[in-house]
Amino acid sequence: MRRGWSLGIFTVVLASGLVLAACGGDDDDSASATPTSVSDGGEPVDVGDVDVLGIWGADELEKFEAMVKPWDDLYTGNVAFTGTRDITAILTTRVEGGNPPDIAIPAEIGLFRQFASEGKLTPLSACPGLESQVRNEYPDSFIDLATVDGVLYGFFMKADTKGTIWYNPKVFAENNVEPLTADSSFDDLIALSQTLLDAGITPWSVGVESGAASGWPGSDWIQQILLNEAGGEVYDGIIDGSIPFTDEKMKDAWEKFGQIIHAEGFVLGGPTGANATGFQESAFPPFESPPQAAMLYLGGFASGFIADQFPNAVAGEDYDFFTFPGGGITGAANIAYAFNSDPGTCSLMLHLAKGESQKIWVELGGFTSVNKEVSLDSYPDAVTRNQADQLVAASDFRFDLDDAIGGAVQTAVFTAVTEYISDASSLDAILAGIEAARQ
Amino acid sequence: MVGRRWWVPWLWLAPALILVGVFLLYPSIDTFRRSLLDARSQDFVGLDNYRFIIENPQPLVSDTHVALWNNFLWLFVFTALTVPFGLVLAVLTGRVRYEALAKSAIFIPMAISFVAAAVIWRFMYEFNADIGTANAVTTQLGGEPTAWLQDKHSPLSFVTDAGPDNLPGPLQLNNFSLIIVGTWMWTGFAMVVLSAGLKGISSEILEAARVDGGNEWQIFWRIIIPILSPTIVVVATTLVIQALKKFDLVWVMTGGRFDTDVVATLFFKEAFVIRDFGVGAALAVVLLMWVVPVMVISIRRFQFQEETR
Repeated sequence: MRRGWSLGIFTVVLASGLVLAACGGDDDDSASATPTSVSDGGEPVDVGDVDVLGIWGADELEKFEAMVKPWDDLYTGNVAFTGTRDITAILTTRVEGGNPPDIAIPAEIGLFRQFASEGKLTPLSACPGLESQVRNEYPDSFIDLATVDGVLYGFFMKADTKGTIWYNPKVFAENNVEPLTADSSFDDLIALSQTLLDAGITPWSVGVESGAASGWPGSDWIQQILLNEAGGEVYDGIIDGSIPFTDEKMKDAWEKFGQIIHAEGFVLGGPTGANATGFQESAFPPFESPPQAAMLYLGGFASGFIADQFPNAVAGEDYDFFTFPGGGITGAANIAYAFNSDPGTCSLMLHLAKGESQKIWVELGGFTSVNKEVSLDSYPDAVTRNQADQLVAASDFRFDLDDAIGGAVQTAVFTAVTEYISDASSLDAILAGIEAARQ
Repeated sequence: MVGRRWWVPWLWLAPALILVGVFLLYPSIDTFRRSLLDARSQDFVGLDNYRFIIENPQPLVSDTHVALWNNFLWLFVFTALTVPFGLVLAVLTGRVRYEALAKSAIFIPMAISFVAAAVIWRFMYEFNADIGTANAVTTQLGGEPTAWLQDKHSPLSFVTDAGPDNLPGPLQLNNFSLIIVGTWMWTGFAMVVLSAGLKGISSEILEAARVDGGNEWQIFWRIIIPILSPTIVVVATTLVIQALKKFDLVWVMTGGRFDTDVVATLFFKEAFVIRDFGVGAALAVVLLMWVVPVMVISIRRFQFQEETR
């Protein structure tokens, strides 16, 4: 009996000790006194830590940290960055759970629009100086994209053009083939592919596998074709729903994509290979020695993969891009938006939006800025400079189609792409299925 | 311990009960509630979400029929592969001198996380024969590389180009590729539990059988298996519950794409990617309904065993 009692008392004491330990631990990060949101360059100002959720990891994360360093020097707080490609799920969970990050920087704007219309985001006007800075430094098209119900909620950083067809200049030179230009047509692209095939080299390296998001590189093909063949108005119509996915012009874009994917010998590994190869791995075959393929259609970020995999490759000589025939350019960008207007959040948003800060990453490579203050000279080599030029000078620029719609439609598009690649006969049913996903 | 201090067992149980209540019971009740509400969990919609699951109006976004059929496939094939493998390995390893080494080697996959196993096998199944072991073996033997995780044709498609027929529904190559990984992981568990049961068989019975002229095969079928049947049922029910719960393997290897979706990956996608909490919750409830009978059988067995002790 006595042993039973003492054991019980021991447990109670242990438990209460644990409880006290848990409660007593956080005296250190008490809220700061009177926070000023902007540092005057003197003593580091205490604005607290900022919690940022984004998609970058490895290389890209290092460059982001370099961009944040000047902010770090001015403020005592830390930027706690979480990078995950599963950002949609994580962001949704955190917002639903009442624990949103301070700043989120995803790549699709469907979720951004949903959050903004539900009132979960803080408009840029809540941070002193932020809205005017963004309005001054960013092109109108990007300001409109970040405006929901007339209120500006975010700004774009790290834009990427998706109008780049990467090729191996040496392969082209050996086979006496010229790269295409913006004035070429899609038929010219098919002819070019046939010429290369006849010369004995597989024209295309295509890989659409990407875990749960498999199929997105195919959707890039289709939207680029749609923009060039059908025009910007049809493109916008698809986004806002006035034109259905079952429309003739959309079907035509899919069928043109099919002309590349399903043509005998055009794609390395055929349609099966396309579905099974990861998008990153697909960037390597054209630049291996010996080259396994001639061309690769992937966005501007592919230059990062190529440079990392082949450190000795020289931009412009070993890898270069030509513009997707047609002249219209699609692209994507990461949009930064805030969930509160704390001093730390506001100061970091201001910092990230500035041209000077974005210039830091630009110089490190793999980042195209849409901020008008960043001059083209900041880009490290001709290839990245041309990408930036393509983006900024595009006469017909459109945001990535499925990123713009987001949600269930985006999921449907990705699934549709992999279905279509494995079975060309099911196109009508597939397009009807995508349209059915719109709610 | 009845009597004056009847409350003592409850005191010891209290922390566990509180944790179960907060993290298991409350979410379950809340999930039931959400399955009757709409996508944003605001308006009451009755059984609409369940109707969605039955009707499957949006196969491109979330194919509920595929998920349900795949779960059935996992249920039967995973258990049917793992239990016999475990049993055979238990019997065989019990007869060699290096028994401990063999058992450890087979059990190691259980010690690594599911995600790690999934990553390993993703590399094994790579389409590029320079990276993927499976395709390296296939191409060395003269075949074409196969897209093990993406191929929706019949399992024989890795022998011929596109399979002799396309088998219907869940009987696809990629489902089997995933189930093999599951088996690889859980055979160790089945083997260890069955081996413990095996050691519990008194050697006198086996001796007597051998003296009576039974060969090893007959001993295995007519003596070992009947005596082991309660253990086999325990192992089978655990594996069935595992098969129904399967999420991480499928999620990491294919993201549920290429028609490999199971109910767990589907309700995750519905709730957190498509943000339809109603359907997500309804799927979770369906999964729960599926698991409950298995658990009841399992608990009844356990009680029966306790009583007959």
